Amino acid sequence: MFNNNFKYELKLLKRGNWLSILVIGLILLFAFAVYNGTNNVTKRHNDISKMQEDLHEKDSTVLATLIKLENGEKVNTPAWQLPSKPMTIGYRNPRLAIMTPEVLSFVSTGQSDMYTHVKRPRAYGNNFALDYSEMINPVQLVFGTFDLAFVIIYILPLLVIAFTFNVLSKEKELGTLNLLGAQPISIIKWVIQKMAIRYIVFTSITILILLIIIATVNIDAYSDSSAMLSFILIIASYILFWFILAFIVNIKINDSSKNAFVLIGGWLLIVIIVPATINQIGSTVYPTPSRLKMINEIRWIKKVNEQMQDKIMSDYLRDHPELAEGKGEEEYGFWHNYFASEKVIEEKTAPLLVRYDQQLKKQQHLIHLFKYLSPAILMQQSLNNIAGTSEKHYNSYKKQVFEFSNTWRNYFIPMLFKGETFTTEDYKNLPQFVYKNKLPNSTWYNALIIILTTVLVSIVFGYKTIMNNTV
Amino acid sequence: MKHIVVKELKELMRDGRFKVALVILVILLAVATFTGVTQYKRSNLQYLDSTGKERTMWETQGEKNPHSAAHYGTYAFKPQFALSLFDYGVTKYTGNSIFLEAHNRNEASFSEASDQTSLTRFGTLSINFILLYLFPLIIILIGYSSYTKEIEHQTFILLKSQGIHPVKLVLGKWMAIFFPVFTCVTILFLIMGIILSGLENLTFFSWIGLISLYTSYIIYYMIIITITLLVSMWSKSSGISLVSCLVLWIAFSFITPKVATNFVNKDHPYPSKSEFLSAIENDMKNGLDGHNPWNEAAKQLKEETLKAFGVDSVSQLSFNYDAYRMQKGEEHEAEIYEKHYEELNKITQEQNKTYKGLSFISPFIPLRFLSMDIANTSYNLHWKFTSATEKYRIEMQKFLNYDFKDNSKTGEWSYQMDADTFKKLPKFKFGPPVLLQILKENAQNILFLLLWLILPLGGLIITSKKI
Repeated sequence: MFNNNFKYELKLLKRGNWLSILVIGLILLFAFAVYNGTNNVTKRHNDISKMQEDLHEKDSTVLATLIKLENGEKVNTPAWQLPSKPMTIGYRNPRLAIMTPEVLSFVSTGQSDMYTHVKRPRAYGNNFALDYSEMINPVQLVFGTFDLAFVIIYILPLLVIAFTFNVLSKEKELGTLNLLGAQPISIIKWVIQKMAIRYIVFTSITILILLIIIATVNIDAYSDSSAMLSFILIIASYILFWFILAFIVNIKINDSSKNAFVLIGGWLLIVIIVPATINQIGSTVYPTPSRLKMINEIRWIKKVNEQMQDKIMSDYLRDHPELAEGKGEEEYGFWHNYFASEKVIEEKTAPLLVRYDQQLKKQQHLIHLFKYLSPAILMQQSLNNIAGTSEKHYNSYKKQVFEFSNTWRNYFIPMLFKGETFTTEDYKNLPQFVYKNKLPNSTWYNALIIILTTVLVSIVFGYKTIMNNTV
Repeated sequence: MKHIVVKELKELMRDGRFKVALVILVILLAVATFTGVTQYKRSNLQYLDSTGKERTMWETQGEKNPHSAAHYGTYAFKPQFALSLFDYGVTKYTGNSIFLEAHNRNEASFSEASDQTSLTRFGTLSINFILLYLFPLIIILIGYSSYTKEIEHQTFILLKSQGIHPVKLVLGKWMAIFFPVFTCVTILFLIMGIILSGLENLTFFSWIGLISLYTSYIIYYMIIITITLLVSMWSKSSGISLVSCLVLWIAFSFITPKVATNFVNKDHPYPSKSEFLSAIENDMKNGLDGHNPWNEAAKQLKEETLKAFGVDSVSQLSFNYDAYRMQKGEEHEAEIYEKHYEELNKITQEQNKTYKGLSFISPFIPLRFLSMDIANTSYNLHWKFTSATEKYRIEMQKFLNYDFKDNSKTGEWSYQMDADTFKKLPKFKFGPPVLLQILKENAQNILFLLLWLILPLGGLIITSKKI
């Protein structure tokens, strides 16, 4: 019977316009989204390349000056800007801390439009309070971008709904349901088979078109086969969820107009209302700790500790350490005092920043717990995870930059305290930043959750109907 | 026509789906109002508290070197405008505080969105969210089958045989959808107005602003009603009508703005922050550095100053030349910042023009821009705020450098400004533009909204005569 059903269903699909509309629609949507995503990643690569070229150019100038100094030639640079002084390099020639895109970054813009991907931590200054925001027209952030994540999370379910809302009700409305009832198969089995066939057809077409478009626009994406596989699996699970929902609505309601209505209501609830409500209630019940309050507190710490800093070093040089002159003992003394005065503030503000960070993490963690309420949220998290554009990736990047800023500073401090000059040889050994994506691919886990949720939903709503054959 | 309106409303009130949708809408509105007001109150209190504390810290610095005070700087905070309760606009993405210090023009920092999870990108259940996305859906729910049901129930021929004028019929149906929507929106705005006017320490609340916002949304809903009726008139069945209306809703509210973002990025890309800062750094390198007496521009300034005052060395000047040079350095740096930020603003304006240019595809875009502007949560407002803070920063540096210059001698870095002088620095004040100016700046958006209303309405009346 399944074979007959399969053949008949394929014939039906072939004869109708639906498949052509689906194929054309998917091609257009995916092609535009992949193209946009790839463009965004290319821009990111280009911005990084520009910065690298600038650094290279700057390095060449500095190296030329260093060679001149080493050869005893005269240079036209103020004493406090000489590259032979370790702190000049540490402050004026920082390395680039680059967050390189992942191969699948084009899949989801995620938080990548909000954050910068290049930082230049310096040997002194407020490395613990670097600003990571990217320059962007905020209207773009309000509207968002047309990427694959948008097509998959928002539009794909609507296509599933359009493809499935009247599977059973159509037979009833056409008057063929009685004929079906006379067949040697229960109606419920017939619906399950029909839905399964449609699921296979829909998922295969979707994934095939997506894979072909990705291969055409961005072949590099295939270099990370594990990420690609998890990407396909999560899409298949998400489609499955919507098919099961449609199946339940079909057997429970069985009226085309009402089916469409309920399914669209479900879409609205799962994709639009639940995430927005979680967001709003979450930020009311667990508000983000106030940054304004934090500013006030840091400012207060700075104010009350100024006198202590004054005892160590004059305020003028504290504000402008790059202007410090002197050699040998004098220079050693200066930097010793400078770091000591900075330490006063760093030590006092550190607990405050840690407290703030903990509050923030607690709030984010609580909000994260709600992700299980909607498969759309799970999808967003998964796609951002695959693309390396989630807030967790940016937090990890910030952490890595902070660690690198310490490495960078610690590279110069011994030279400074030993009274060494910076040489061309030292230039070759400068610490370099390499970003590592340290987050595990949680997509497998999320796919499993979606599948389990789907199974659970079918058991809760469909079991009784299936057992009683009450369609 | 009156009979049609009454009949349609009766049908609507009997429709279970409408009742369920209405109950859900009221619950969501209650949640959005409660949480929105709570958040607004909290943010406003934080703003008032931080502004007061920051000023106290500034005024109680005691005797201090003015340049040191310039580095200690101060913070300018953006007020929480009353109507932001209706439309958060770009505020979650821009940050509300700017650090004002010597030598640097800083960006607004600590945007709310950067502290939140990516869940924020789904949007938040605010009043604005309901007004923008859910009310149009309610309209679709009420109106998608206005005509198709008559055809499906075969009552259309009956209606025609009654001799009813098709224009009266369509206007009756239009009014029947408009009336409940109008009632709900009016009640909502009235309640919010009353809540707002009852709040303490409210910033820049005006009933005229609220009425303008209300009118904008009412016009938008009129557009959606007209389009829904048109679709219902052209559709063969209720199912097709519902799907078509929803496709339009998604295209208007989600797809067009997102596609526009991609066009905007391609045609008028922003520089990356690193690139932007590098360009400023490069310009600064060749100009006057207030702290570097040896660079070319500083040497030139020294020569010009000595010549102007007819003396041979800076020690003969009656004022502190170091402070004078610092002030000139500040002015020079401010010019460079101004140049680069102006270029950036031009790109943003071009981007926003592209967005607004797509208003002919979606009435959502002109409404979105108009609403943000009236609620004082737009990019325009943010730009005005950052410009005002920069103006204040320059004034602040001038105030400090001039005190240093006039009350000490060249080389006297140990000079301390009198503790009371800090109080003389005027407070930073920022207010939104007047409503008339906002409306003038939004003439194009208003025009597009009106066109979206008039043209489909004309189409509706013409089509009604043909069926």
